[in-house]
Formats: sequence, structure tokens, C-alpha cells
Amino acid sequence: MTATTAAATGSSTPGPAARTAARVTDAVKVYGAGDTTVRALDGVTVGFAAGRFTAIMGPSGSGKSTLMHCAAGLDTLTSGTAHIGDTELSALDDRRLTLLRRDRIGFVFQQFNLVPTLTVAENITLPLDLAGARGDAEWIDALVDVVGLRDRLRHRPAELSGGQQQRVAVARAFAGRPDVVFADEPTGNLDSRSGQEVLGLLGRAVRQMDRTVVMVTHDPVAAAHADEVLFLADGRLVDRMESPTADKVLDRMKAFEVRT
Amino acid sequence: MNTSVRLSLSSLRAHRRRFAGTFLAVFLGVSFLAGTLVMGDTLRSGFDSMFGKATGGTDAVVRSADTITTPGESQGVRQPVHTSLVKTLERVPGVAAAAPDIQGAGQLVGRNGKPIGGQGPPTVAGNWITDPTLNPYQLAEGRAPAKTGEVVVNRGTAKKGGLRIGDTTTLRTPDPVRVTIVGLATFGGEDGMAQVTFTGMTQADAEKYLTAPPGEAASIQVRAASGVSQAELVHRLTPVLPKGVEAITGQESAQENTDMISSQFLTIFTTFLLVFSGVALLVATFSIHNTFAIVVTQRARENALLRALGASRRQVTASALAEASAVALTASAAGLAGGIGIAAGLQALFPAIGFPFPDADLVVKPLSMVLPPLVGVVVCLASALAPAVRAGRTAPLAALRETAVDSSGASRTRAIAGTGLAALAIAATLTGVLVSPSVWLAGLGAVLALVAFVVLGPVASTTVVRLLGGPLDRLRGVTGALARRNALRSPKRTAATASALMIGVAVVSLFTVFGASLKATMDQTVSRSFAGDLAVSTPSFGAGGSGLSPRLAGAIQRLPEVDTAVGLGRGVAEVDGKGRSLTVTDPAALARTFDLGTVQGSLGDLGADGLALTRNEADKQGLTTGDKARLTFTDGRTETFTVRAVYGRSELAGDYVITRQAWAPHRTQDSDTLVAVSLKPGVSADTGKAAIEKVAARYGNPQVQTRGEYAQSSAGGIDMMLTLVYALLALAVLIALLGIANTLTLAIHERTRELGLLRAVGQTRSQVRAMVRWESVLVAAFGTAGGLALGAFLGWVLVKASDGASDTAFAFSLPPARLAVVALVGITAGALAGLRPARRAARLDVLRAIATE
Repeated sequence: MTATTAAATGSSTPGPAARTAARVTDAVKVYGAGDTTVRALDGVTVGFAAGRFTAIMGPSGSGKSTLMHCAAGLDTLTSGTAHIGDTELSALDDRRLTLLRRDRIGFVFQQFNLVPTLTVAENITLPLDLAGARGDAEWIDALVDVVGLRDRLRHRPAELSGGQQQRVAVARAFAGRPDVVFADEPTGNLDSRSGQEVLGLLGRAVRQMDRTVVMVTHDPVAAAHADEVLFLADGRLVDRMESPTADKVLDRMKAFEVRT
Repeated sequence: MNTSVRLSLSSLRAHRRRFAGTFLAVFLGVSFLAGTLVMGDTLRSGFDSMFGKATGGTDAVVRSADTITTPGESQGVRQPVHTSLVKTLERVPGVAAAAPDIQGAGQLVGRNGKPIGGQGPPTVAGNWITDPTLNPYQLAEGRAPAKTGEVVVNRGTAKKGGLRIGDTTTLRTPDPVRVTIVGLATFGGEDGMAQVTFTGMTQADAEKYLTAPPGEAASIQVRAASGVSQAELVHRLTPVLPKGVEAITGQESAQENTDMISSQFLTIFTTFLLVFSGVALLVATFSIHNTFAIVVTQRARENALLRALGASRRQVTASALAEASAVALTASAAGLAGGIGIAAGLQALFPAIGFPFPDADLVVKPLSMVLPPLVGVVVCLASALAPAVRAGRTAPLAALRETAVDSSGASRTRAIAGTGLAALAIAATLTGVLVSPSVWLAGLGAVLALVAFVVLGPVASTTVVRLLGGPLDRLRGVTGALARRNALRSPKRTAATASALMIGVAVVSLFTVFGASLKATMDQTVSRSFAGDLAVSTPSFGAGGSGLSPRLAGAIQRLPEVDTAVGLGRGVAEVDGKGRSLTVTDPAALARTFDLGTVQGSLGDLGADGLALTRNEADKQGLTTGDKARLTFTDGRTETFTVRAVYGRSELAGDYVITRQAWAPHRTQDSDTLVAVSLKPGVSADTGKAAIEKVAARYGNPQVQTRGEYAQSSAGGIDMMLTLVYALLALAVLIALLGIANTLTLAIHERTRELGLLRAVGQTRSQVRAMVRWESVLVAAFGTAGGLALGAFLGWVLVKASDGASDTAFAFSLPPARLAVVALVGITAGALAGLRPARRAARLDVLRAIATE
């Protein structure tokens, strides 16, 4: 059933050149009711191209986290549609949504990324283990080397530094070769050196391993690692920037603050 | 309002759910305690007023002053008084009427051919006292017995046996007597005196069937003429009484009756219930302590903030204690109300299940009002004290740290202290059980063992949970692994949670092991001592039942299939001044159907003045064959007997044996408790049984059993007792499970973020549920395993201590099937306890879980 829905909507995908890994169309998200209504997303349509590193920026309250949560199937839209590949998310019940997250999406959160009772190795394969899948041993082996944690595999998260923990989270996010990895402020809690390491990892995953990353951030330096930056304000998509640099992004953000 | 109090109240309001488990634990414990006390007082007052009403017309009771009390009996056997004394008493000025009260055992057979009663309370037959004010029973329907064979029966007995006025049935005295019911009686307005069955016959019948020689009565009831007080009556009666006979007032007699019921039934009943409410409260202590400990840890940040803002240690501690007090007070108050409700409910329920609860208003004494809530509050506050003090010690800096979860393992001190305690416990028990038998030392060891188990819990939990959870990893993959590691996260918490269940399971196992050992002991006794093929007995225990007709053994003996049939009767006498029970039998035949061990002397020629006794008693009394012993019987006569035989085993035969010939002059109502039969060679047990059953049918239809059946039915009461114990322990286990559920709920609250993460990266709801459920099962399995080990150990101690304290050789038996059921129930209960927390965990909203501070 999901397949037919996906096929039907898939034909209407705009832009045949770049395959979209995830997209939202006319996304509206309203929180609360009555006087306290907040429109966190107010008609956003955006596609995240496969094989690209996209950053979503915006001041706090702009709806960037909500956009990510809805696109990743962690939250549901009030109206509009969200797709992962050709699968429409609103058609899925909690179980299927969970399975979809497990099999096709990777996550890196700002903190609390790891299960404290599991070792580093177990945390990396957690989504695969939950699925009861063996996983691609060579791929995971390569990932471990890329994130540089081979000597830490048997350690518990509490024994790692914050940067190391985020690197484990990155490895976990890519372990199942998901369609798309969503990263929510992945460097928000890190010092700048560790942050650079994590961002470098995300960039290499996209450029050398052909993965897709969507990252929410408020840090222009972090955004500069992306191929493209989307700017959100008041729940709307207000601008895009190809090949960003930290300075350009910063200028753009300053312009926002003046205007709003 | 005080700041600490205000803080704790607002925190209570905010976290009401966290304290639901604590509230329930205190509530249940207090309810049980209050219910027990109120019910005990109500029953006591009910019996009091019932006896008052029933015997109100009796102003004085004349009876023998001497009783013979055998060891282990609460009440002695009183010597009879002669009925001729009635005439003397009637001539005393101030006496309006006097009537003999002749009593004996008499069990009625119901409409369905089965005997009525006999499962504990006495089955009494007596003369129907014609003076209505002297007769404790009042005629409710029909008329009094006028000629031989006519009887009045108390209404409760008639109802139970389906008997009506005009019916003819059998009264076992124990010789079967055909009786016709002509009237129904009440006792103090009730259908009977508790469960006691009463059959009233004419005085002639009573003398004929219930006493050995005619003219003997248990007592004489006397009514005073108007204007003569009870004390005055006793004063006037006393000078005319022969030596050894006394007069007491009617009030004293009623009080004695109430006290007798109290001591024989109510005290045992309430003590029994109090012990179990104690167990329940002990279990509750662990649950409550655990809840407060977790809450305080979870609130470390909040408390640290308060400290940083200038709250003193004392204020923070006081606030935590105030919170505990609020829970304790409301739960205790609710528990008191609940307990009174339980007592009222039981009062309504008992008559419905055939137990006449004397009609009385609920008696709620000040003690029942004060004690249970006080215990509830003390238990709750004592359990919360350590966590509250810890709350006060929170460093202000903790506000800046991540939410702390106490994941500290077992300290070295704990391991050393626990091991020391365990060693001490084992040393004390082994010494008390094996080296120099002492119940106190064994008991001390048992208590120490319990403490050692609790202290060592956190030390053991890591290893044991890892071991028990081992198969989970393989069976349930990452879900199982997560469950196991969650259970391992905080060894102290896991151990404390499991400890509550451990105590419950330990008590269950203790009784299971002890019960099985008792059964094994009986089995061993029968198979070792009973050399016959068949046993004839009446199914009864306690004071009930009328025994077997003494003529039955002779009748069976005459059967061609039978080699030997020997009847065993019971008598009491004082042997050199000490009350002892005697076995009255044919000693030569006894030796053929029982294995009496090594016999010194000859059982064959005891004669009319010979005595046989066990080696054990002989050593204690310093008697050997040829020695003389003075026996004083219930008729007051003393005779000198010669010890003619000393035998090794007393188990079924009793400690003292005399012949029927020797007993005959002193006999009371004659009955045998057991007829042991050995068949002629070549006669099968089935053939023999069929032949004997035909004869037995003429003697009130007692049970004919093979050796195996006899051993089994001897142990029948144990199973009934165990069922009752299990039912009472269900409460303790329930409280323990509430504790597990509560701890899990709190743990889930702590792990909200982690659960959110797991859900985000793809753990399905059913996987979340399974994970929490398995954690619950693991904690329960840990508690159950500990409980089984502790219970089996304590059972062993109890069996060995009983062995040392009595002459009977106790067998120790571990019933594997039953213990397996206990284990299964414990683990299943763990899965049930995990259901609600598991549902809650699965319902967590992923996004909110991730965003939780």
C-alpha cells in the first residue's frame, strides 16, 4: 500500500536531475489552540537533494527544528506532506514510522545521543540490532576507522569526551546506510575543535561516501560546511545560499535581525 | 505556613503519581493490621455477650477442683463430680434449682451420611437440662427430649447436616446410637456456640452413653433463689462440698468460657493475622524506602538549587520528611478506615460461609484506633529518614551537574559487613541446630541470615542479575540486553526493590518447605512405625470428632481376613505427679501392628497394674523395668503400676501404654482414635478393606485406609494450613510487586531522554514494552531467587530446631515441584508488575522525551 502511494506521488517529484532524499510540501505545523496558537511552520516546501549536505539556519523560534522533526518523521504536520524518498509519512502508523526511522533515517542530536548502558560498538549498531539485522560489517568497520574510535569500541559512553560521543553518534547515524541523516545542532555542546571534527566527518560522509545530510544549526561556521544553506524565519523559507562561507552566512543572518 | 512544609506540599501535588505506590503500601499494611485488631475485639465481645446471655441463668457452677493437664494441651481434663451431689445442693438454703451437666463427645451424622463438624471445634453431646434458666441452650423449636433416643440439636448443626425435627439419624458416642430429633436449640440467641455442635439427650441416655459409670457429671449448675447473690450462693455452697470439689460463680464460669475460646481460637487467630500484617509491613518498609531514595536522587538538582538559594540542610531534610509525613498520615488514616471496613465486611461475610460470627456491633477500641496508624506513620517515616537526611546533604553545586542517578555499586564495607553477618548467621544457626540445640540461637541465626541477605543484596545483584539475564541477550537480542543492563544500572536500587519481594517469597518458601517436611515426617512416621496393612480412623482433628467405638476393633478381629486388629484409645493420668496422656490398648497386639523399636521387658504381660513407656520418657523420669510409678486418674484415685516394658519408638503408639484392663476402673467415655489392622497372609489390601468397610458401616462408618492413604490423610491438615498461609502472604507479595512497579515507573521517568532516543533511532513501541517488562522480570527473578534460597535455609533451620525441641524425628524435605511453582509465580508476578510501567514507557512522546530537561 505504501509502495503504491509512493509511486503515485513519486511521479510528481519536481526536478528529475537531482533525486530528492526527503522533502516537505506546503508544510504547516500549528502548536496549541485558541489564543496561544503558534504557527511553527507556515507553508514550507523544500526538497533535500540526495548526496548533498544541506544546512537549515534561522534564529531561534524560526521553526528550523520543527521542520527537521516533521521531515524526519519524529513529529507530524498539521497540513501538507512530508516524504522520505517516495514514502509519504502521514500515511504511516507509529509502528511503520518507527521502522522507517530505523531503516532509512539516521539521527545525530545535540546531546544524549547514546544509550549509557551500551558500549560504543553496540551504540553504533543499535538501529541494526533493533531491526535484528546483521548489517554490512565492512561498511561499519570502515566507519569506525573514519570516526577514529577503533580503540574505544568496548568503552561505555560515560568514559568518552563530548566530542568522542558525538563521533559515535555520527557513526551510528550512518551505520545502516540510511537515505538521509538528520543532525540537530550536532556541535551545539562541543568546543570548537571537537565541533570541527564532527562537521568534517559529516562533510566527508557526503562527499566521499555519497551520503545525504540535513543539519539544523544556528552557527554560521557550522553552516559553512554545507553545500547549501536554507534560511528560515517565522516558519517560512526566506532564502537559500549555495556554497556558503561563514562570513556570507553571518552577513545574511545579520540582515535578518535588522529586518525583523 | 512553614517554608519546608509549603515546599513539600507543592512537591507532593506535583508528583502525586510517584507516591501512589507508597500510599498503597502503607494503606494495605495499616488496613490489614487495623482489620485484624477490630475483628479480634469484635469477636471477643461477641462471644462475651453470647456466653453472658447463654449462661445468665446459672448463678454457680460446682465442679471438681482438680484437672490433669498433659504437656501441649492448653486445657486440662477435669475430674467428674457425682450427680448425687445435686440432692445435697438442692437442700442448701438459697438454692432454687440444681442440675447436673453431663458432657461427652458425640458426633451427629448428617442427612448425607457424613458426620457433621469435627474439623477443629468440639462436637459435644450432653444431657438436656430441663430447667430452662440453667440450660445454656434455649429451645427454639419443637420440644425437649422426653424418652430414650430423643434429642435436641443446636440449630446451626441441624442446618449444616440438613436435619429437621422428626428426622432419625446416628449419634456417634462413638458407639452409634439411633436418635430422633425432637427439638432445635439456640445458644445465647445464636444458632450455636461458634462452630461447636451440641446434641442434648435425656439424662438417662447421657449417663448411659457419655459416661463410663452412671452418676458422673462434668459439673453441676446451680440457680440461686431470688435475693441471693452469686457470691453469697457460692459462699453458702462451699461448706457442703466434698473435698476436691469447688463452687464458682456463674460470672466466673462465663468468663472462663470466653477466655477458653479466646485462648484456643481468637488469640491464635489474631496472632496469626498479626504476624502476617507484620510481614506485609516489613515488605512495605523496603518499598517505601526505595521510593523515597529514588525521589530524593531525582530531585537532587531541585534540592541543590534550594541549598544554593540559602535553604539550610535542616530545611531541606525537614521538607523531605514533611512530604513523607503527609503521605504517611493520609495513607494511615485511609488504612484505618479501610481496616474497619474489612472487619465490617468479614462480619457480614462470615455467616454467609457458614461461620456464625456472633452478632455484635463492631468494637473499635482505642488501641485499634491508635496502633495501626501509628505503626503506619512510624514505618513510613523510618523508611524515609535516611533519604531525607541525604537530601539535606545535597551540595549546592549539584544544581549545575547533570541529573544524578545513584548508580553506585556495592561498597567494600557493605560486602565485608554482609559477609561477616552471613558467617555469623551460619555459625549461630549451625550451633543452635546441630551442636547444642537451642531454639533461641537458631532463631537469632535466622534473623541474622535475613539481615545478611538484605545487606548483601546490592553485592549479589550485579552477579545474579547478569547470570539470570544471560539467556535474555541470546533470546531477545538488543531488547533483552538493554533490559538486563537497565536492571544492572543501579545495583542498590535493584537490590532494594528485589528485597521486598525476597522477604515475601522467603516466607512463602519457608512455609512450603516446612509443610513438605511435616508431611515427609508423617509419612516417615507411618511407614516406619505402622507395620499393619490398614488403618481405621475418623477424619477429624482438633477437639472435634467422637473417635471410634471401642467395640469396633473386636468386631474387625473376628473377620476371617484379619490377623490382628488393635484399637488405640486415649486416656490421661498423672504419672508421679505429671500429667501424661496414655495409650489404652492391647499391648501384645500393639507390638504386632506397630514397630515399637527395641523392646526391653515384655509388652505381653502388662496385666492390670503394668505400664510400658518409651525409652525417652523412661530416661527422663529415671524409670526402668521393675520400677514402680504412681498413676493418678481423673476419678481421683491413685494406683501403683510397675514398669514392665520399655520400647524405642513412640511416634504412633504414644509415650505410655497401659492395658484396657488397667484402664477400665477409671475409664471415662470410651473411644478409640485408631484401629490398626494387619491382614492374614495372602489377603490383599483391597479385599481386606472391603471386608472391614462392611463392619465399619455398622459402627458409624469411619474411614478405612491403606497405609499410604493413612499417611496422606494424616498430613491433610497441613495443606489446608498452607493454603491459608499462602492467601495471607499474597498481601505481602502484592506490596512487593507494587514496589517493583513503582521503582520502574520512577526509573522510566529518569530515563525519559534515553527512551526518546531509542524510539527515535527505531525502537518500536512493543520493543520498548518488552524491554521494560523483561527488566521487571529480572528484578523479580532476583528477588525470587534470593527468597527461595533464604526460605529454604530458614525452613531447614525451623525443621532442625523442631527436631531438636521435640521427641519426634523430623524429616527435612525440599518439595521441588512446589518451589518451582513459587518461582514461577514470583517471575510471572514480576512480568505483571512491569505491565503498567511498560505501557507508560511505550506511550512516551518521542519528541517530548528528547526535549525533556
